[in-house]
Amino acid sequence: MSKINIKSILSILSSKFTAFLAKHIVKGGSNFPGKIALKIDKSILKTVSKGYKVILVTGTNGKTTTTSMIYNILKESKFNVITNNTGANLYTGIVACFISNYSFFKRQENPYAIIEVDEANVKFITEYLTPEIITVTNLFRDQLDRYGEVYTTLVKILEGITKVPGSKLVLNGDESLLGRLDVKNPVVYYGFNTPIKENASLDLNADAKFCKFCKSPYSYELVTYNHLGSFYCPECGYKRSELDYAVNTIFDLTAENSSVLINDTEVFISQSGAYNIYNGLCAFAISKELGIEDSVIKTSLQNQSSSFGRQEQITIDNKDIQIILVKNPAGYNQALDTLALNKNEFSAAFMLNDNYADGRDVSWIWDVDFEKISTLNIEDVFVSGIRMYDMAVRLKIAGLDVNRFILEEDYEELTNKIKNSVSKKVYILATYTAMINYRKYLHSKGYINKLW
Amino acid sequence: MELTICHLYPDLLNVYGDVGNVLILKHRAALRGIDVNIINCSLGENIDKVNVDIIFFGGGQDYEQSIVSKDLKEIKGEALTDYIEDGKVLLSICGGYQLLGKYYTAPNGEKIDGLGILDLYTEGGDTRFIGNTEIFNETFNETYVGFENHSGKTYINNHTPLGKCIHGYGNNGEDGLEGCIYKNTFGSYFHGSFLSKNPEFADRLLTLALQKKYGQDVQLGSLNDDFELSAKKSMLERLK
Repeated sequence: MSKINIKSILSILSSKFTAFLAKHIVKGGSNFPGKIALKIDKSILKTVSKGYKVILVTGTNGKTTTTSMIYNILKESKFNVITNNTGANLYTGIVACFISNYSFFKRQENPYAIIEVDEANVKFITEYLTPEIITVTNLFRDQLDRYGEVYTTLVKILEGITKVPGSKLVLNGDESLLGRLDVKNPVVYYGFNTPIKENASLDLNADAKFCKFCKSPYSYELVTYNHLGSFYCPECGYKRSELDYAVNTIFDLTAENSSVLINDTEVFISQSGAYNIYNGLCAFAISKELGIEDSVIKTSLQNQSSSFGRQEQITIDNKDIQIILVKNPAGYNQALDTLALNKNEFSAAFMLNDNYADGRDVSWIWDVDFEKISTLNIEDVFVSGIRMYDMAVRLKIAGLDVNRFILEEDYEELTNKIKNSVSKKVYILATYTAMINYRKYLHSKGYINKLW
Repeated sequence: MELTICHLYPDLLNVYGDVGNVLILKHRAALRGIDVNIINCSLGENIDKVNVDIIFFGGGQDYEQSIVSKDLKEIKGEALTDYIEDGKVLLSICGGYQLLGKYYTAPNGEKIDGLGILDLYTEGGDTRFIGNTEIFNETFNETYVGFENHSGKTYINNHTPLGKCIHGYGNNGEDGLEGCIYKNTFGSYFHGSFLSKNPEFADRLLTLALQKKYGQDVQLGSLNDDFELSAKKSMLERLK
């Protein structure tokens, strides 16, 4: 047993015991064991993360999937690797993750920790450890009642980064907010050299459209989605940084997957949507920075299965159900684009909650372009969640056929109605706690084997 | 009949889904067989005060609002003043509401000039007023619900409020008032979008605009508002 003080030991043991109780007695709750540990030893993270090479993944959208992709690639490379893959991305959840992997007796060789972290929590983590790499995926408007605005979110992330000038930053170069940062860290950029749709232009409702240095509107050589792309400011000359890793060609993009050329390597990404190309690109960039071979990265991305509630596919009786987590307008619009790629008939369930983790204000659904799915032939439009009437109003105004609406808050009833749907394929688009709670229900009925 | 709705700075003031108000007005007018034109009016463009029947003026992030403040003063100030004084219909939410007043101070201390058309001002506050809100308007005998999210404290002097707070903070968390009414200009902190759960208020705006244009005897037929009213009702239940 290595040197460790009594307070830390107590902290770790209490946390492990709480985690055991949480898992076996009350089912769920990924943050509580971390809270207990921190109560006893404030700097416990320093002790339990010792020896790990840490990769922090933050940003508004794509954290969970990117984290999972990097984890799988490292695993494929035979590294010892841990991750907080249950979406427990606050300080307490991260502490709990390290503790649950902590052993008093044996040390893993050259271990890696791939850690997803909430934007406002980066600074707590970098207080106690220096990551090998910090990556920021993108910055979209998200749950404004929590952090204010995209500029505030960026400031919060930077607060964390400035504490660790030695960490390498792997950043989305197409994100104008992340260019030319005032930091000492070495920076690597990734992005797109090809548009996803020809002649895509900036959406009226996109975020961050004005130069962060001189407030003039940006021009774009190409737009991928929302405000991401090859931007430049005609006024002051600020522009996208040189890309170290770039998607040069998109060979194919379907409702199921995509294949692209990253630098000179052809990569198949087993999950649909433009945003998953970004996630794959980010994972590719980080893996290359860690010196991993192309063939390993390719194999892993090709076999990547969906994470917890992120395009997860399950079967209920004879229905193919796909659960898509939706948290903010940018992500929701991408999810709707995925639906639109499906040329067959299908149904969809829209679940809207307004608990803290969903964002207590549901106004953001009005920033989602539901109008674009009004022309699709959606057979049954299920509407559920605590705020189902708000969602029903939104879908009605968007022009969806009210006669196809089925409003049902109760999970059991909802499930029965889904079973009786005329379509075989049913997409479930759910906000965070709606997804968590509905999965819990499905788990209790045996439709899902693994809860977390 | 025909209505022209002007959306001010839709590319800059586009947070919290306030664009929903425009979509809802359009939808409700269209169901009554009214042709609706939507005009976007942003930086460098003036307001067509003659042909526009309803103006929507939403809120944005502080960064974007400082860009708007300058344009408002230099380009649109005069036309907007005439429009409002003429008694035409305008709905302003949050930042738009603040910019119609004399000034507001941003959380970083920056003082941003408004147009001063409304005799009100907004001071930066330390606490953010966040939450579901219910107000009652005695004149109209109507209850409105929405979601407020602001740190600015607005003081409306002798203006009429949009309503008295039943739940929530309202303009400043002190005097129990929410929003402001001046002629046919309405200001509020309500997001939601505001009109999504208050269809009677949406119809009030449409009726006022149509009457201004086509005469006092214009009336609107009723619509099926089951979803809207259920959304309002379930919020009122929760706030009890």
